[in-house]
Amino acid sequence: MTEPVIRTRGLTKWYGRNRGIEGLDLEVGPGEIVGYLGPNGAGKTTTIRLLLDLIRPSRGSAELFGLDVRRHGADLRRRVGYLPGGLRLYESLSGRELLDYFGGLRGRRDRLLEARLAKRLDLDLTREIRSLSHGTKQKVGLVAALAAAPDLLILDEPTTGLDPLVQIELFELLTEVRGEGRTVFLSSHILPEVERACDRVAFIREGRLVAMEAIAAFKARAVRRVELQFAEPVPAGAFAGLPGVRDVAQDGTTLTCSVTGPVDAVVKEAARHTVVAVTSAEPSLEDLFLAQYREAADAA
Amino acid sequence: MLRSVFGKSVHDLWRPLVAWTLFTAAWPAFYIALYPSIGAVEEMQQLLDAMPPAIRSIFVSEGLDIGSPEGYLNMELFAFVLPLLFMAWTIPVAAGATAGEEERGTLDMLLALPIRRWRVVAGKGAFMVVGTVVLGAGALAGLALGAAAVSVPLDMGKVAAGVVLAGLLALAFGGLALLIGALSGRRMAAIAIPFALSVAAFFVNTLGALVDWLDPWRPVSPFYHYIAGDPLSRGLDPGSALVLVAGAVVAGALAAVAFERRDLAA
Ligand SMILES: Nc1ncnc2c1ncn2[C@@H]1O[C@H](COP(=O)(O)OP(=O)(O)OP(=O)(O)O)[C@@H](O)[C@H]1O
Ligand SMILES: [Mg+2]
Repeated sequence: MTEPVIRTRGLTKWYGRNRGIEGLDLEVGPGEIVGYLGPNGAGKTTTIRLLLDLIRPSRGSAELFGLDVRRHGADLRRRVGYLPGGLRLYESLSGRELLDYFGGLRGRRDRLLEARLAKRLDLDLTREIRSLSHGTKQKVGLVAALAAAPDLLILDEPTTGLDPLVQIELFELLTEVRGEGRTVFLSSHILPEVERACDRVAFIREGRLVAMEAIAAFKARAVRRVELQFAEPVPAGAFAGLPGVRDVAQDGTTLTCSVTGPVDAVVKEAARHTVVAVTSAEPSLEDLFLAQYREAADAA
Repeated sequence: MLRSVFGKSVHDLWRPLVAWTLFTAAWPAFYIALYPSIGAVEEMQQLLDAMPPAIRSIFVSEGLDIGSPEGYLNMELFAFVLPLLFMAWTIPVAAGATAGEEERGTLDMLLALPIRRWRVVAGKGAFMVVGTVVLGAGALAGLALGAAAVSVPLDMGKVAAGVVLAGLLALAFGGLALLIGALSGRRMAAIAIPFALSVAAFFVNTLGALVDWLDPWRPVSPFYHYIAGDPLSRGLDPGSALVLVAGAVVAGALAAVAFERRDLAA
């Protein structure tokens, strides 16, 4: 197996008596886009800042490219592009000057790539950062992170402040990055955004990893809400016994139920009657996410 | 210019540095230019003689005669004003070095680059030093020009010794500001504490000359190493200079170490 790009072992961070993250075991392989999801205060930013050696773990360790971030921080960061959450830039510089500075410190510069990225994101690099809107500043940060052509991109809430079209362009860019075999690790709490771009998602809640799996697998386990409208009332009992069916409820001629996995059996049972209408909502990742949380909470 | 941490400091702060250098040159020039017209130096000497010794010692060191231009400068300028002019540069600049960026939230992106933290401290510390050298040159030039304008003979070698020591004194307190900023991430603390300590150090040295029980404590005060050796009458004492240099270097090194070890605020 290829070496993971990110690996944490029992990574734990306490801020005094405040819990940051607790016993986090995370593995991200090369060439994937991983979404790091969780509600506010879950510990996403904490994890990311530990990976960059900006803060130090209370216990456990973090490795990038197989090397410990505490001991090889500066060398490892040569291969990393980072966009902080709550980005703050040097207000008195222009976008171009910012790239000059960071390029100078990196000792590496690709002006062509910078220009291409700026064009893709429709960003004017000559303007002073102070004068830019929130979303436009975010674009500057993204260009700065991407311009180093890093093997690993760590983005903390990259979509903050971006309008939907720019978000699409960004995910397009990230998909290209993956296409070159590079890795993207991005945090978000807005699920439909990541759903589109990620291969895998990791859910974190209250500092602990709740789940980590392929989006496709998640969807296979999807719980769909199915609503059937019949010409006349039907016996609900027949549906309740079907595989994967739960929460059957009947209201006159309308029958609703939750179906895990394929809806085949439900459809076939329904076909024995006169069906007026079928509604089945594609479960949003949001719903899956919440279901996952509920399961974790129930288990706890 | 925007290639290194040092270069970024130059880019951000060269204007304030130029402005402050002009001020730091103008003030001493103005004082020395006034010297001949305080023809009433005699009167001044009388005034001083009339002062209680405790007060007088704040202004004049024992070895100097107020009647000489060097003695006059020692009282009017070197006792506290010149160190203050220099510290008004070193302390805020050092305090802002890491703590300023940390408070503004720009440090995250900077330190996510392939650069060691101590390099950031070193780059910004180096700029503080270079700025102090510029200020010192400005003060010397101001004194030389002012003295020439009114034809006052000035022993520039000794004056330079005083300026160098004042600069080193300011760098020692600047090093402290760098250290407090690196430790705490708080700019205001890194400004206020060194300034407060510099005032305390001033009084420990001056009053220590008069108060017996305070006397053994004078060497603790950086001001003692700055001025007690009377650079304006005796020139540069390498031992004193070394103590101040050591203070600045140790504080700067500790700042780098402290900064390497800390959790940075987001
Ligand atoms: N500097 C700090 N001091 C004390 N507690 C902190 C600090 N930083 C984070 N925390 C705590 O650690 C926990 C995780 O915070 P973190 O910022 O990592 O969450 P997050 O998942 O990034 O949240 P968000 O989605 O709001 O950005 C929170 O409970 C937070 O209060
Ligand atoms: Mg966060």
